[in-house]
Amino acid sequence: MKTKNKSMIILFLAPSVLLYLMVFLYPTVRTVVMSFFKVEGVTDSVSLWKFNGLGNFKTLFNTPLFVSSLKNIALIWLVGGIGVMVVSLLFGVILTSGVHGKSFLRSVIYLPNVISAVAMGTMWINYVYNPDFGLLSSVLKSIGLNELAATQWTSPEMVFWSMLVAYCFGMVGYHMLIWMSGIERIPVDYYEAATIEGANVFQRFSKITLPLLKGVCRTNIVLWTVSTMAFFVWSQLFSPVNLSASTVTPMSYMYELVFGASNSAVTVRDSGAGAAIGVIITIVVVVVFMLSQFIVKNDDVEL
Amino acid sequence: MKRKLSSLMAVLLTCAMVLGGCSGGATESNGAAAGGESKGEGKSDVTLTYYSMWNETEPQGQTIAEAVEAFKEKTGITVDVNWQGRDIRKTLQPALDGGQEIDIFDEDIERVNKTWGKYLLDVEDLAKKSYDTTDGKPLTDVINKKLVELARSLGPDGKLSTIPYQPSSFMVMYNKDIFKAAGITEPPKTWDEWLADCAKIKAAGKTPITVDDAYMASLFGYHMARLIGKDKTLAMVENKKIDDPAVLTFGQQWQEMYEKGYISKNAAGNIYPAGQQEVASGNVAMYLNGTWLPNEIKNSAPADFNWGSFAYPAVGKDGDGTNANQYGAQCFGINKNTKHAEEAFQFIVFMTTGEWDNKLAENSIGVPMANDAHLPKQLTEAKAVLDATTIRYPWAVGMEDVADINAKIKTNFALLVSGKLDAKGFADAMKK
Amino acid sequence: MKEKKIKEKINWKKEMALAPGYIIVGIWVIFTFVLIGWIILASFSTTREIFDGNIFKFATGLHPENYVKAWKTQKVSSYFMNSLLYTAISCTAVIILGAPAAYVLSRFKFRGNGLIQNLFATALGIPAIMIIMPLFSLFSQLHMNQSKGLVIFLYIAVNLPFTIFFLNTFFRNLSVTFEEAAAIDGCSPMKTFWTIMLPLAQPGIITVSIFNFITIWNEYFISLIFANTAKTRPVAVGLYSMIQSMRYTGDWGGMFAAVVIVFLPTFILYIFLSEKIIAGVTGGAIKG
Repeated sequence: MKTKNKSMIILFLAPSVLLYLMVFLYPTVRTVVMSFFKVEGVTDSVSLWKFNGLGNFKTLFNTPLFVSSLKNIALIWLVGGIGVMVVSLLFGVILTSGVHGKSFLRSVIYLPNVISAVAMGTMWINYVYNPDFGLLSSVLKSIGLNELAATQWTSPEMVFWSMLVAYCFGMVGYHMLIWMSGIERIPVDYYEAATIEGANVFQRFSKITLPLLKGVCRTNIVLWTVSTMAFFVWSQLFSPVNLSASTVTPMSYMYELVFGASNSAVTVRDSGAGAAIGVIITIVVVVVFMLSQFIVKNDDVEL
Repeated sequence: MKRKLSSLMAVLLTCAMVLGGCSGGATESNGAAAGGESKGEGKSDVTLTYYSMWNETEPQGQTIAEAVEAFKEKTGITVDVNWQGRDIRKTLQPALDGGQEIDIFDEDIERVNKTWGKYLLDVEDLAKKSYDTTDGKPLTDVINKKLVELARSLGPDGKLSTIPYQPSSFMVMYNKDIFKAAGITEPPKTWDEWLADCAKIKAAGKTPITVDDAYMASLFGYHMARLIGKDKTLAMVENKKIDDPAVLTFGQQWQEMYEKGYISKNAAGNIYPAGQQEVASGNVAMYLNGTWLPNEIKNSAPADFNWGSFAYPAVGKDGDGTNANQYGAQCFGINKNTKHAEEAFQFIVFMTTGEWDNKLAENSIGVPMANDAHLPKQLTEAKAVLDATTIRYPWAVGMEDVADINAKIKTNFALLVSGKLDAKGFADAMKK
Repeated sequence: MKEKKIKEKINWKKEMALAPGYIIVGIWVIFTFVLIGWIILASFSTTREIFDGNIFKFATGLHPENYVKAWKTQKVSSYFMNSLLYTAISCTAVIILGAPAAYVLSRFKFRGNGLIQNLFATALGIPAIMIIMPLFSLFSQLHMNQSKGLVIFLYIAVNLPFTIFFLNTFFRNLSVTFEEAAAIDGCSPMKTFWTIMLPLAQPGIITVSIFNFITIWNEYFISLIFANTAKTRPVAVGLYSMIQSMRYTGDWGGMFAAVVIVFLPTFILYIFLSEKIIAGVTGGAIKG
């Protein structure tokens, strides 16, 4: 029986573990090593690599575009994160408070998630943000805010925020679902007891819902971090021709560095620096993960 | 439950079989692409792999696809086109590095020669031969000499390594009907005339000029070169410092353009291709752009759109005159590791001479490569500009060579032409 | 959901208290409809109408030919078939590989079990940026880049950790009595898994497969790098390349038609299966 189990365990696990080693472990290790070397082309053999110490990291931090990309991703994570979390929690609370048509509303709010970002982005740029006939400017005009309606939503000082709003719009549904599943696990009698004792909506929310949602909150933060660090398509959509300081992200910068620039110019590729970007991003993910573990302690409430 | 499972398993099994079938198919087609090494007499059975900068849906792509058919009929050589579109800027180099079998590739003449120079086969000798579409003359004698010279000067070690096609030039493209309506008979040659004409266009109820993020760097580069000359402009990029005192002059002149409402109010927020759509809709008169513009907006502009072109006006006494312009072309290059150099060159000749040269130009409102080429009527004025050109600017007068500088121009110029920065603020921001 | 079927009498006092909630969610929902509605209208218009902001007037009538153009000349049909192939095969293979692994991890105690589980969990946090470069280099040495087989392979490998992670929790929640009964009947563990446990896990498998389907259908980055040729592009990258070529040909009506064609399958799937999908999202994420 024991040996039978053993062969079964090996047989069942081996393919998955092998794939994991090949597609996750090996590349991760190699990328980390690569980040300390001067490597031009991504396919260059190891014999062409030259040890560069922390040189790649130094070069990156002296490149204005990369610094902009870090600033952008930090803002996306923080401001977008707060926005998405607040709105999605609000929607989660509203939808679990006994409204009619809950599943319909929930489905519609989640809907943007299933549509390709390329489709959504094109629509935002060409319709919502269009200064002549766009949705935003016509709505603002119709309520008399003509000055605001004349805003160039995709100009350099606005394009970052426009991009962020468009991105966050799609993310709300996803995080709302996660909040909702957390809220729905809270026993109803907690609320009933609180209501009997005269607690109002806000008290019930802050005294019961919030504390019991800590675990879900951590999940949301981790998921948000992982998805924002891969921020790429939206940046490409909002600066389709070449990189702009206001929309560049580490991922899109890496894409240029490793695979060649889209400018019609002579730019040397630098895959070593691309690897260094990967390492930096991974460190950020790990740090955020540990911080969220630390701040929202696991053992608080297990739901 | 049992039945459900068995049907699920049936689905899985079918899919697994498809998987097997598919991966089998993939190797097969790989085999076909790698094969065909034997050289035959007369009708060849060689297969060439061509990484194309076009999408199959563009007029150029459609024409090339037809040409590939005709070429196969004539020579027996199969050209396997890999339609990359402009993504070729990212995909070609890693593919070449990785040793993928690619015989022909194409892109902008500067990019192919400078960025991809080390992959190119020297074609001097092949180009000296005559082909059945060259009337017994060497290829280099029947195609645009200016561009052959350019290709040679850009080529690795000054050797001709690419064959240009689809010539283009960068100048002010304008709507002649708007000019007529505004009472402008002659396009401007100097900045003062330019401003005067802008005033007339504005008075006629139209917007004089627009731009979007794709062409801001070009506009800045052109204007700077008109202020301080090509060499000094390129030197700024070289030193990565946009600090010439004339940057302030640029700022003042375009601040004036903004304040007088001569530049479209949407310019700052235009994301390509929003700028040229403003021209297509007939609201904007001018756009500093490529001679490809009539082709790119032919679907959204009225069919009888009256195109004109003139060189960017002369601005300062220390700068270049209207005889300095960017011109270039797309070009074909051959991979130096190819096993079929001759066949590949044969295809290039087929595309750049005779019937298909003309068809390509015709379908894309472009310029043929032949020396005695007939130009589409949209580009008759452009030809005059090009003929008068003696100094060549590189693309965007170098302003796109450094990603950081390009990004800086896009941000600050947009702020300048939306009134968020004044001339001084612009010059300071560019210096940083 | 089902027990709520009986219509409650509308309690106006309660509804009034909920009014602000209705308004906020209502605005959001209307906005979503307007956005998607605009795309659909634009797909029936001409380029001129789109850029003049006149798509609601249909001055030149409907233009269903946009769809024909998009399907045929824009090669949407080919991208569509590629995506279908990629998603169908990867979703199936992920289950075939992932379900046994998840089962073993959830049921058997052995050395390294915890480690392996942790390994799969960390994969969920490894950014794509960390793995693509070595993989690209590796597969180009093997001359496998830009082939359909490779993308499928990568989709399987990349989606395995989440699938295992999800099914692991699912198996854990299944009672062991099934296996005990089977063992008494003399059924081998292997057979027990295929004939008893896998069918029991069907709801979980369906949920995670739907989730995988949507992820793979809309996947962009991996296919951008590993399958960016006219023959291998899936819909997301195909759509982006179409948008790029659109700049040079200016056929915006056709482009939006392509957008609609691309999002239609996920949309239809979503309409029918939204409950399942939502269950998949929440079920998979909650334990993270």
